[in-house]
Amino acid sequence: MAYFMVVLLDDSRMEKIKGTGLEEHIKYMFGGELRLLEVEVSEDLKNKILAEFETARVDSRGAITDVPVAFMRELFNQVVEKKSLGPEVVEGVLAKIGEIKEMAAKESEYLPPPEIEV
Amino acid sequence: MSSLLIERPLPHGGRLVERVIEDKRVARKIWKSCNAVYEIKPTLHYETGVPVRNVYREIMSICYGFFSPVEGSMKQAEVERVLKERRLLNEWIFPYPLIFDISKDDLNKLGVEVGDRLGLTLKGKPFAILDIEEIYEIDPEELAYKTFGDPETNPEVVQQKFDKKHPGWVIYRSHQPYVLAGKYTIINPPKLKPPFDRFWFPPRKSREEFEKRGWRTVINHQTRNVPHVGHEFLMKCAAFTGDVEPCHGILVNAVIGVKRRGDYPDEAIVEAHEAVNKYGYIKPERHLVSIVLWDMRYGNPLESLLHGIIRQNMGCTHHMFGRDHAAVGEYYDKFATQILWTKGIPSFGFPAPPTDVPYGLKIRPQNMREFSYCPTCKEMAYSETCGHKREKLSGSFLRGMVAEGVQPPSIIMRPEVYKVVVKWWKHFGYPFCNEKYVINKEKELEVDLEDL
Repeated sequence: MAYFMVVLLDDSRMEKIKGTGLEEHIKYMFGGELRLLEVEVSEDLKNKILAEFETARVDSRGAITDVPVAFMRELFNQVVEKKSLGPEVVEGVLAKIGEIKEMAAKESEYLPPPEIEV
Repeated sequence: MSSLLIERPLPHGGRLVERVIEDKRVARKIWKSCNAVYEIKPTLHYETGVPVRNVYREIMSICYGFFSPVEGSMKQAEVERVLKERRLLNEWIFPYPLIFDISKDDLNKLGVEVGDRLGLTLKGKPFAILDIEEIYEIDPEELAYKTFGDPETNPEVVQQKFDKKHPGWVIYRSHQPYVLAGKYTIINPPKLKPPFDRFWFPPRKSREEFEKRGWRTVINHQTRNVPHVGHEFLMKCAAFTGDVEPCHGILVNAVIGVKRRGDYPDEAIVEAHEAVNKYGYIKPERHLVSIVLWDMRYGNPLESLLHGIIRQNMGCTHHMFGRDHAAVGEYYDKFATQILWTKGIPSFGFPAPPTDVPYGLKIRPQNMREFSYCPTCKEMAYSETCGHKREKLSGSFLRGMVAEGVQPPSIIMRPEVYKVVVKWWKHFGYPFCNEKYVINKEKELEVDLEDL
């Protein structure tokens, strides 16, 4: 199975990837309502992610999910920095594992909710 | 009545177990007859100390008849038979050992013997009694392995040896080594707290509700998740089974208990399912949300057997089962549940499906595959019907989107369902279950008790 991680793109993220050459890799899902990029993850990197984060899972599509939000934010930063969707992106994220875990420890206590009327 | 029409099945075992005393005067008399009193404690993870189970939920589900015909904490011979043949001593099929476990220290402090009546308190208030018929010792690790099977003994469906990454295995591994066996009776019925109170339909009440609504056929949807549109379509389409017409009712039965980190909070799950009918995606006359108290064992085919028992007891005629039903990891074959309900699993004591063995179940399985979005059809499509390339919907993918603060498109999550998620996110400061949620939940529980 091929593994990957999904980077969701909202308007502000779209601005940041402008000119990186990644625009042509944008995928659209759900009738065009969702824009995203898919970052390649090797078997070895997948195992490392699962070992580092207890909540991480591989879903039925082969997507690695349920990693801390801090991980996902850094994943996007690395995509922009490396202008790539290859395995070096996740390698770059894992190089900052200590920092991410520190932030993840805080975010396991609190995540700011979206400001919508409920 | 036409022979084509399906009738509501009798409870598993032929009659509903109801072991709840409502009369306080009678209850006080019984309470006074107790030889000792024990405060129920959560079962703590054998390594981390985090709560993984509370036996009170088993007592509730037994005494209100969800687990009929089980009446109490199982005797040693019964546990052995369940592990070997998945049958109770009275022959009726049942998947899991259910026991009241206690530490050696607590057993010594209580000083109880066979024939004694043990009073059980919950949150410091009288709750139930246990009439002790047997006291025995178990090896929790052995119990954990035997409960779920292994690749050598159960090669049809078990793919890997169970270990501490499996939450159900951890529950049994974390049991205390002494068992007090005997019947439970609730003598001070707890009150379910909001929002759970309005979803509390124990088997007698759910059967009465089905009768009131004119639901002869009812299909159950098992859940421990906030519904996305794929779940909604699963419910709508699975309900087209039935007999001469589609099922009259869709029962959503949410399992409420200790959660895994990353799951949605129980409060969000029940209200999100309610939003599906409240906002008309499935009309409320056809859709009912309910709960059962149980700390999930994630035993895939074995869990499906328990689900079948619970929902038959609640009066359902059909039960939908999907891929990886009540599963975690890759311990079982992805279709283990569907194999059980279509062919049987001989090594688990089922040479034929559980509906085709003596003392088996009457509820009918409706094995389903999945719904996903088809960009060509521009709608949710069934995997076995649609011939296009579809976009798979995954709960984990949605959780990731939610955590990043991105509102899922309405084609995959209804906006009213998302609002429920955000409502409870604001309440708990977190969209999913984290350690704080698990610990608080196990401290506060879903119930309150009055003085006796």
